[in-house]
Amino acid sequence: MSDDQWFEHLVDTMGQVAPERAPARLKSKVYSALVARMAESGPLLDLAETKKAGASLCVFENALTVVPLGTNIRSMNPCRICHARVMGERMEHAPVFWPGCPYADFHHH
Amino acid sequence: MDRESTGVAGPSGPVVPRFSMAPDERELVAAVLRKDRKAAAQFVAAHIDAVYSYARHRLAPRAELVDDVVQDVFLAALNGLSGFQGESSLRAWLLGIARHKVEDVYRQRLRLPEPLEDVDSVESTSEPQSPALDQQIDAARMRDKVRRILAQMPERYALTLLWRYWEQRSTREMAGAIGTTEKAVERTLARARSWFKDLWLKE
Repeated sequence: MSDDQWFEHLVDTMGQVAPERAPARLKSKVYSALVARMAESGPLLDLAETKKAGASLCVFENALTVVPLGTNIRSMNPCRICHARVMGERMEHAPVFWPGCPYADFHHH
Repeated sequence: MDRESTGVAGPSGPVVPRFSMAPDERELVAAVLRKDRKAAAQFVAAHIDAVYSYARHRLAPRAELVDDVVQDVFLAALNGLSGFQGESSLRAWLLGIARHKVEDVYRQRLRLPEPLEDVDSVESTSEPQSPALDQQIDAARMRDKVRRILAQMPERYALTLLWRYWEQRSTREMAGAIGTTEKAVERTLARARSWFKDLWLKE
């Protein structure tokens, strides 16, 4: 068996790459980066619209939808200044348990 | 687990599932394009494990680059999402982007000149015979062994092997991508194989 054949056989024998779970910390970082990139080109979807579409909001987002502050505020990204994001991006199993918080979902689901 | 249904990257690069984008994926894409943050979270949660598994395996010798590559994949996907036609599943499309990002790393790293001490240490040892692949070792243990060996090798040799055999690129394609001759790639590959087999026999 040539070297080339030996390596090809090795790759075949190994089979597929075993699925692995991405660390919650990485999920949090990637999510934050995506939302930040989305916000660069204009306001995010109004949280009231997000809620209407059936998504659950966290306690802070919910508050923004009920206080009369206007669409601009509801289209901002409150996660930017939230402790849940900071902890979610820096540790595994972050102690974040808010219902409707994506960082809590990444760490506990 | 069925590769076709999961879209997990296989030995010959990312698996491209046969089905195209499902209706719920279409809704997810539309929601992300509307800048719905919760849809972005769903997008990440649904596909990051597949992208991470692929990048982690293909960048075994440079584990510290995996997080950045995974993030780059999702940002590139967001940039290109409006042009995504749904001819493949979202996961297959993301894994295609991941493959390009991993190959960018290979290109960058392999363009650097080869350290002389790596060449000397390989050429001073004799070429080991191809060891028998023990059929008693199950695939999972073999994957672990391969990962351990790749991690012990000089980065350049490990990446060369991954590019040639796991991504199944020809030496001509590799030479073209890094701007060198096919002969030079073959020389590096020969040293990499020798190093790998030597460690395989020692394990």
